Amino acid sequence: MKNRSTLILGLTASLLASTALADVKVGFIGSLSSDTGLSTLRGAEIAIEELNAAGGMNGEKIVLVSADTGEDVTEGVKAYEYLAETEEVDFIISGSIDDVSLGWLPRMQEFQIPTLDTWTSYIGIIDMVVEDPETMAPYFMNIASDEALATLYINFGADVLKKEMGWDSVVILAEDTAFGEAITGLVTEALGPVAGIETKEVITYDVGTVDFAPLFSKAQASGADFIYQVSSVNSQVISSQYVKLQVPMAMTGVNVSALGLEYWEDTGGAGGGISTLSPVPSVGFELDPESQKFVDTYQAKYTSRPVMPHFNGFNAYWGLKQAMAAAEAAGGFSDAAKWAKEMEKQDITLEKDGKLWLRYAFWGNDEVEEVTGRTYPHNARFDLTAPYEDAQPSMVVIQWKEDGQVGVVYPPEYATTTFEVPSWVKK
Amino acid sequence: MRTLDLRPHHLVLWAAFIALMLLMPLMVGNGTLRTMIFACYLAMFAISWDILSGRTGYLSFGHPFLIGIGAYTTGILTRRYGIPVEASIPIAVLVTMAGGLIILLPALRIKGSYFALVTLAVMELMLQLVPVIRPDLTGGTRGISRLPALTRGAENGYYLAAGLMLAVALFAWLLMRTRLGTALWAIGMNEESVRGSGLSTTRLKSFAFLVSAGIAGLAGAFYAHYLGSITPRSFFDINILFQIIVAVLIGGAGTIIGPIIGAFFMVFLLEWLRPYMPGTERFFVYGSIALVLYMYQPKGIMAIVDTIVSKMKGSRA
Amino acid sequence: MMQIIVQGLLLSGLYALIAMGFMLIFSIGRTLNLAYGAYIMVGGYIYFWLSQQLGMPKIVGFAGAVMVGALMGFLKHRLIVKPLKGDAVAVEISTLILAIIMQSVMVLVFGDASKILLPIIPGVVTVAGAQVTFNILAATVMSWIIIAALYAFVRGTHIGRAMQAVSMDEKGAAISGVDPDKINMITWAISGALGAAGGVFFASYTQLSPQMWVAPVIISIAIVIVGGIGSIIGTLIVAHIIGFLEVSIVALWAPELRGVFTMLLIIGVLVMRPQGLFGREEH
Repeated sequence: MKNRSTLILGLTASLLASTALADVKVGFIGSLSSDTGLSTLRGAEIAIEELNAAGGMNGEKIVLVSADTGEDVTEGVKAYEYLAETEEVDFIISGSIDDVSLGWLPRMQEFQIPTLDTWTSYIGIIDMVVEDPETMAPYFMNIASDEALATLYINFGADVLKKEMGWDSVVILAEDTAFGEAITGLVTEALGPVAGIETKEVITYDVGTVDFAPLFSKAQASGADFIYQVSSVNSQVISSQYVKLQVPMAMTGVNVSALGLEYWEDTGGAGGGISTLSPVPSVGFELDPESQKFVDTYQAKYTSRPVMPHFNGFNAYWGLKQAMAAAEAAGGFSDAAKWAKEMEKQDITLEKDGKLWLRYAFWGNDEVEEVTGRTYPHNARFDLTAPYEDAQPSMVVIQWKEDGQVGVVYPPEYATTTFEVPSWVKK
Repeated sequence: MRTLDLRPHHLVLWAAFIALMLLMPLMVGNGTLRTMIFACYLAMFAISWDILSGRTGYLSFGHPFLIGIGAYTTGILTRRYGIPVEASIPIAVLVTMAGGLIILLPALRIKGSYFALVTLAVMELMLQLVPVIRPDLTGGTRGISRLPALTRGAENGYYLAAGLMLAVALFAWLLMRTRLGTALWAIGMNEESVRGSGLSTTRLKSFAFLVSAGIAGLAGAFYAHYLGSITPRSFFDINILFQIIVAVLIGGAGTIIGPIIGAFFMVFLLEWLRPYMPGTERFFVYGSIALVLYMYQPKGIMAIVDTIVSKMKGSRA
Repeated sequence: MMQIIVQGLLLSGLYALIAMGFMLIFSIGRTLNLAYGAYIMVGGYIYFWLSQQLGMPKIVGFAGAVMVGALMGFLKHRLIVKPLKGDAVAVEISTLILAIIMQSVMVLVFGDASKILLPIIPGVVTVAGAQVTFNILAATVMSWIIIAALYAFVRGTHIGRAMQAVSMDEKGAAISGVDPDKINMITWAISGALGAAGGVFFASYTQLSPQMWVAPVIISIAIVIVGGIGSIIGTLIVAHIIGFLEVSIVALWAPELRGVFTMLLIIGVLVMRPQGLFGREEH
């Protein structure tokens, strides 16, 4: 009898606790077993801890529930529905990859839950915000869109590849995905007119390719000065075969697997010489004191991989704080449009040595970016022109050296090392 | 009606089943309804697979191919050509039936594991072709988003999915009670003897393939509009195949209610595990339960229920 | 041209090794072992764990992978194939479920991130204008050695001949004094060992990832369909047809259609010759 009453007491207490304290419910959607997903999850966890220590959101405690997508599109839809209708969360933070985000977006439009994407950079989603501002109002993406990334990369082509390395022609080696196609289109269109680099040939490969040797042979036969690779799926296979085969030709471009600090360990060192554009803050990126403090907290709290949060971990940390600040101003998350208006105003500037280093803010709805000539509503603010006084550059170029060190090689304002070709490539 | 051999208790059972399904929204919350919507669609895929493979014994590993054709046809027609869903869904069903004939061709010459291999190859071919051929239409690997929604909200979505599933189940049930259903069974048992009795197995098989494909296309098209966006990975994938086949076999192949029970069991199992094991452990436990259950009784839950029922009857007597 | 020949030979050797274990099981029980990819995956991961994470000698890693593969094959025969009494459909379905389970096990144990194996033998050489790593050269040589040993075993030993007999006619073999159950068990274990060995080389070509089991199964399926249920030699020839087809398509025409052509070859062969190029007529 006594046992039962204790049980009932306990149940009532926990029920009371969950209604009295768990007032702000944040949902995480993403893979719980990938570095990408965990970066966002942990960034959000740290932000929530700090906010709760400071009194929560308008005095209400913030709790987090997570829903695993396993990087599967259908599981992503189910996960979003679970967060929305079973857990009834107030706000969703996402570490989803492109097609998973595209999968649950119709649910976001239906439920109108304030949602922040921290990894997906697909410009098509920003286009949806432009075309359909009303139902897309609760959606924010606090990473520079892929189009902005590719645009700034062209400057790297002009300033470093053409001017410093003296390369005049490129062969593009791109995977047969929508991502590969989009980046290839942007790069081929702009490299010629802007950077003066001629595209000799575009080789598209199947992401299931086992043996890249024939592809590298083909690239060499094109007679170009360097290879531009575009790889987001199974990217380690192409880069490790490049290193293992010691292909006597320089290669740079986009390699998504090289974005994390585990790249060296995962490839067993077969990553030396690989360079890629990366969203900010990348690996090897010098951090301002505030971001460094976040990383210190992160490393004290988590010992398993990823040992260093990926860029989306930073996005989640700052983005979650901004979402809560916006909710405080809007009186909660229930009025999504009102919350969105407040979210648009959020602006955090981080300085390093007295210079603007990182900025977490969004583009105005009608604000036109000068270089690309288009608007980026609800997309993270970025800067495409040196000396990057309005915001950080949309991307940096990083390079893994043959000794396992990694550093930023472009733009010069953020560089920690210089771009060089691997030792086996004849200059 | 006499040929169908309908009995009063059939009508009672069906009425009870339909009433139960339609009263669900009054009994459960929106979160559960969302899960039930997925279960209803999986049940339709499973019924479609069962008509083809559960009965004739031609094990199709390419069923996601058919569902994907239905989904992509309506996706492309509505989003790229602005055709209304009233027209695009029937077209999708017809196109999928044509796709069913493609699967049929090898089946006229080969069977058994070879047939399974070929259908698997056809699905792989689609996964590789869809992103490459005409990406302007298919949207490449990112697929097609913003498909027009047919309804909004959990309740409406549920009524649509459950209504469709009941219609499909009833249709399939009636069809299987005709002589045709018996003949399909017979093909599964012994194809030679069916041929020997003067029936054209080619015609029978073609019919089964067409019906199966038609249901797959119909369910696939509605499913695509329910999801609102489609990508190659969410259709032409071995995991989808896994769910369909396991739903049929866990439930009980060669029945109508079996695949439905199997689909609900598999979808709900995965959702129930979510709060206790949010990560990959969930899929491990889910797969293991499926394997153990299947190994225990390859004829499925229906057979387990039958055994229990007959034991209870036996002990009472 | 020389380049295509060199690269084609190397890739085909790998494909032949991968398909061999799959073909053995397919020809003995007409069973589609979809969990075959799991041997390949587990083999690769065991090698990685022993030689790269624990730092043991590579040969220990390789032996460990082969032993675990054989054990898996053995267990699968004992725990799944035998209780299902050789019902081919039931075995196929349970192996499909098993493959999905193994995928989640790998995520749980080794994580989701893909990993690259260190070269088994480091170094690179240029042959006929094509870079060839010693690693891949070694993989091809090893796969030839393994295939030759398998051939000698099947043709030259008592157990090997019994395996052939069972694959042709299980009842007949039983009458003539062969224990089909024991032979089946041995075949499953050999298939597991071959898969795991192939997995080490396949992973050293590509990468380790929890999804890596699908691709080799598809390659094996292609080879078995095109070749038919046949001999080791038949599998070897078809592996070369598919390997060279791939390399030629990539080098001379459209690399993005690499996989598409393999699938078209499958469908083409089936329409012309349903039993495969080297297969026996099935009834």
